[in-house]
Amino acid sequence: MTTSREAELLEFLRTQIAQRTQLAQGDIQADAPLGDLGLQSIDAVLMCGDVEDRFGIEMDPAAVFEHDTLNSFAQYVLQQMQA
Amino acid sequence: MATFHLGLSTSGHDPALAIVDARGRVVFAEATERFLQDKRAWGIAPDHVTHLLAALAAVGFERGRDRLEVATSWATVKADLPVQMSDTLLPATEALWLRGLQASLQASAGASLLRLELAREMPAVRRYDHHLCHAVAACVFAPVEDAACLVIDGEGEVGAVSLFDLRERTIRRRWRSWGPGSLGTLYAWITKLCGFDWRLGEEWKVMGLAAYGTVVPELRDAMVSMMEVDRGRLRYAPAETLERARSLIERHARAADAPVMDAADLAASGQAAYAALAERVLAACDDGQTENLILSGGCALNSSFNGTIAGCSEFRRIFVPPAPADDGNAIGAAILSWMHSTESTRIPGCDGSPFLGSTPSPGTMGRLGHFGSCGKVTDIGGDAPGQIARRLADGRIIGVMRERAEFGPRSLGNRAILADPRDPAMKDRINRAVKGREPYRPFAPVIAEADVDAWFERVQSSPYMSFTLPWRPQRRSLVPAVVHEDGTGRLQTVSPGSAPWMHALTQEFGKLTGVPIVLNTSFNIMGKPIVHSVEDAVSVFMTTGLDALLVGDLLIEK
Repeated sequence: MTTSREAELLEFLRTQIAQRTQLAQGDIQADAPLGDLGLQSIDAVLMCGDVEDRFGIEMDPAAVFEHDTLNSFAQYVLQQMQA
Repeated sequence: MATFHLGLSTSGHDPALAIVDARGRVVFAEATERFLQDKRAWGIAPDHVTHLLAALAAVGFERGRDRLEVATSWATVKADLPVQMSDTLLPATEALWLRGLQASLQASAGASLLRLELAREMPAVRRYDHHLCHAVAACVFAPVEDAACLVIDGEGEVGAVSLFDLRERTIRRRWRSWGPGSLGTLYAWITKLCGFDWRLGEEWKVMGLAAYGTVVPELRDAMVSMMEVDRGRLRYAPAETLERARSLIERHARAADAPVMDAADLAASGQAAYAALAERVLAACDDGQTENLILSGGCALNSSFNGTIAGCSEFRRIFVPPAPADDGNAIGAAILSWMHSTESTRIPGCDGSPFLGSTPSPGTMGRLGHFGSCGKVTDIGGDAPGQIARRLADGRIIGVMRERAEFGPRSLGNRAILADPRDPAMKDRINRAVKGREPYRPFAPVIAEADVDAWFERVQSSPYMSFTLPWRPQRRSLVPAVVHEDGTGRLQTVSPGSAPWMHALTQEFGKLTGVPIVLNTSFNIMGKPIVHSVEDAVSVFMTTGLDALLVGDLLIEK
């Protein structure tokens, strides 16, 4: 079941990735490696910062490389929110 | 049994170690460069074996009885992040080099404990966020319960700026900037364009030279346009804006063989751009909760800007620690380790003393009597400030090595070259005879807290030479050797409590001359760190035009 918090996060991440890759949001596959979607590694780090600011949680900058799909990254962020 | 906490600055440049005792007191702090006499000590382990051994002896650490916790000043390894975090303005080779040094020092931190047989296996090292180390070290020296604590740095774990809130001595991060945008790196790039080398720490030269130039609005605005300040967070402008600004500014770069003064306008414009951007960051830090600002990070060494903060922001009391750059992080890491062990959330304070380093070796001091055959040796204990004041007033240039060394880049009187600030020729004399420094760089004045108002505008306390203030115009001609080209001085303020010897010296000099101010420059020659051992001091004395050397209470005159 998708909570509203999770939906908000996924929406935010899709917007971030779309802006940085010039992809349409519909083209962002939840299980595709972010690098394959054209997300540069520096942009992935900056996206972590935007998540930190937006959701008020402490982000580990390396997390986006350990969780390198939209789905797994979102799951990581949700865990951080609940911690 | 007591547990000591060893903090290590593991950036790869400016390594240092600090030791905090079981009561949370900083009992020792010293940069590796002093011990090794190797400027900036690039890539050297901050727990360098013989340095650590000397430090442990100085704090009374007893093998077999006491324990040592080890902590580093970085939580992560920079090389784990993309190199684009650090190569926007500086060449990728330099970024890669720095990342390699930091990675290796993070990995080897604590290994010296094996060599010293203080551990049987590689110690479990505590690792702390880089900017948190800066902030905590700065808070130790700030005698306030509440403040905004801003770190403006070259780099960080994820970005170059972090803002913390100190409330009842408990610290919490409010935000940090992510990505490569960095005022420290921008200043390093400007340093390069001025024909200097940031790797040699020549940002000082830009600041000194700026006073001789005129701000060129087009250059300043182009530099400002390179950075976006979003609610205090720094990011570089989009690539095309950055390129446009770079190509305009780089046309004004000074070639290495061109006259230095050719870069004066560029330096002035760079300093102005730094100030404009830093003001924007500061504006985003004010939340109306406090008038106290604690400022740290490498950029907190920009004393010219620091002196303007109280006038250009909502903050009224500004605190900069004695070692705001990465050397100072050793203290932050050690204090955080102590807080962890004692489950303390309050950051301990201190008596404000920056004199946290080694003392001159008593054994070597005892042998200085041998100098009797090649100079005059006198014990002036009891009236040292009076005796030194008289000689300064007679025009002598005197090297002083007394008690514990200062921690941080400034000489604050214990490893100092002192002279008479009234002599207009003194600056050239010191440069020619001792320092070998460029003529456009200023020398600093020492003045008693109680006298500051009579001599300076925008009065504030400056115990660690962190602020540059304008001299009162009518006073400038009385102390020409310590007035910079723009009428300012980077003053050190002293009181009977904080620096009794230097305070007494300023008062004695004032009685003799009517000017209670002494010129104080660091006890080194150009390109070398401040002297560490008695032997270092003696060799500078013997190979330069210093007239006298004071070691402890023993005065040696040529």
